[in-house]
Amino acid sequence: MLRMQNLNKVYRTHMIETHALRGFEIHVKQGEFVTVTGPSGSGKTSFLNIAGLLEEFTDGEYILDGVNVKGMNDNARSRLRNEKLGFIFQGFNLIPDLSLFDNVDVPLRYRGYNSAERRERIEDALAKVGLASRMKHYPAELSGGQQQRVAIARALAGSPKLLLADEPTGNLDTQMARGVMELLEDINAQGTTILMVTHDPELALRSQRNVHIIDGQVSDLVHKGPTLASSPAKAGSNTATA
Amino acid sequence: MFQYYFLLGLRGLRRNPALTALMVLTLAIGVAASISTLTILHVMSGNPLPHKNDRMFVPLVDNSSLSGYTPGNESGDKQLSYRDAVNFQNSKIGERRSVMYGVGGAIEPARKDIGAFSSQGLAAYRDFFPMFETPFLYGQPWSAADDAAGTDVIVLSRKLAEKLYGDSNPVGQRMTLMGFQFQITGVLDKWDPVPRIHRIIGSGAFGSEDSYFIPFTSAIRHQTAHNGSMSCSGNREPGFQGTLDSECTWMQFWFEMASDGQRAELQNYLDSYAQEQRKLGRLKRAAPNRLFSIDEWLVHLRVVGNDNKLSAWLAFGFLALCLVNTIGLLLAKFSVRASEVGIRRALGASRSDIFRQFFIETTVIGLAGGVLGLLLSFGALALIGMQSKQLTVAAHMDWVMLAMTFVLSVAAAILAGLLPTWRACQVTPAIQLKSQ
Repeated sequence: MLRMQNLNKVYRTHMIETHALRGFEIHVKQGEFVTVTGPSGSGKTSFLNIAGLLEEFTDGEYILDGVNVKGMNDNARSRLRNEKLGFIFQGFNLIPDLSLFDNVDVPLRYRGYNSAERRERIEDALAKVGLASRMKHYPAELSGGQQQRVAIARALAGSPKLLLADEPTGNLDTQMARGVMELLEDINAQGTTILMVTHDPELALRSQRNVHIIDGQVSDLVHKGPTLASSPAKAGSNTATA
Repeated sequence: MFQYYFLLGLRGLRRNPALTALMVLTLAIGVAASISTLTILHVMSGNPLPHKNDRMFVPLVDNSSLSGYTPGNESGDKQLSYRDAVNFQNSKIGERRSVMYGVGGAIEPARKDIGAFSSQGLAAYRDFFPMFETPFLYGQPWSAADDAAGTDVIVLSRKLAEKLYGDSNPVGQRMTLMGFQFQITGVLDKWDPVPRIHRIIGSGAFGSEDSYFIPFTSAIRHQTAHNGSMSCSGNREPGFQGTLDSECTWMQFWFEMASDGQRAELQNYLDSYAQEQRKLGRLKRAAPNRLFSIDEWLVHLRVVGNDNKLSAWLAFGFLALCLVNTIGLLLAKFSVRASEVGIRRALGASRSDIFRQFFIETTVIGLAGGVLGLLLSFGALALIGMQSKQLTVAAHMDWVMLAMTFVLSVAAAILAGLLPTWRACQVTPAIQLKSQ
């Protein structure tokens, strides 16, 4: 699903060069639930941004679902991002003056679906996260946990192959965090690959595989058995390498 | 996606309503100032017969004396002598032609309830009516035979006809003008060309309409004094005949050629005519003989004054100031949207998608500014119209200017929105998403 080989990311100013990722190597297979941990400044966010095609890398190779993204122009990267990826952020990142329906509608608009298909997908996605009855509400009218559920619905509406989550439970209390995590596990069980950055060791333990990053490199890899044995996609995760 | 972006643009008007209102108002004021002055210019410099611009011409020959003449200098004279005008009339050149001069005289109504009053009119040939496309409410122009015989016939303006005869058709009736009985052959419908190209010299481009029209030959036969300006560079014998025989210029003339592209033919005639008159010893100067199309005539007579042009420049300068303010306001409005841009980029919007969205949003602001600007323009034109009679005639917005208001407003908004829109496209999504 995602493969990075000898990937480097260097931030340059006229005075300083900062190596965010050095010779970074990772391979995430279809259907895996991988958590990424590491101290602040280790390169987790850079990795996630590059994986999400939000930033370009300096050199190396990145293959996303069989597509080599190196040298792609902005339009092609945006189309790929829209078709293959879903994002969940720590701060939810909903657009405040759009209703839940319209928020979930955003990525579908860029996909070019017609009105009927968009409506069906939006209603399905909101139903999956238990918010079908509140689609006319606005984000400010929801709790943090509910807002994150909307963000998940938005990420899921376009049926992405890879869900990128950046500390999705970071702004939630324990109970809400548990609910969101269970939802993510359900989504993974239905076949969607998830790559989640987290600071929470407990959440990291719940994933199939944890990648620990220090100084822009994968320093440690914890292989575990599939958490959800019912998912056939999980079977391959044991053989994943980083 | 256009509809989606347009709806987002409408929704965007509600976001930061105070900022939006300020922006729309700034734009509207700038547009209203520009459009109202531009409307005045547009009307003043407008050609009421644009389709005839390349086949209607005013001829001028320089019949001034040699005194003070420097070869190469053009005469400032803008009218013709009686002799030249009559020669042109008899030339058979062109499809239509008419000499004309302003006349004034007392009208003695048959109705007892209206006393005698003086009124201004125009002495011309019957060709005048089809040449200037005057609409007729009743009747028709007098005949060519009336022109030839100098018959006392008259065409009334609608306003004068209603004053004298109410709503009834007066064609065939006789009325007393300047002490003579004139038979009415027709009544014009409302005819208000702006500018009045046939009367720029005399009653002015924006002056009041002529109340009646009589045959030139009749006016001359009755020795009707001219009502307008006269320029004499040589001697003039006393009396009306003296004026006719003099080189004083006091008549205007229009040729209408059968089709466009016959200007050279007319110019050849004019040059030949002048050459012949020089041989006869009448024309002394070897000055160029000039023809003016309608547009050229408006420019030559400076119908649009320098003060009008200056006003327009100042108004556009003001619009530029408003645009600078709008740029600042748009930058402020869009800068708070950086997080939204980041989110949209993450969800699959390309930079060009973001550009389109914000571009259409500025267009919506421009349209809102156009609507308000239009209302303000109507108000401004009403105020301008109160300043003078001339401006009252010119201060009217037509469909062209109405469309121009929206075009100018949207163009101004788009221009003002380019920098803020470009900056919105440059938002780095990763930074915005993390900073939420």
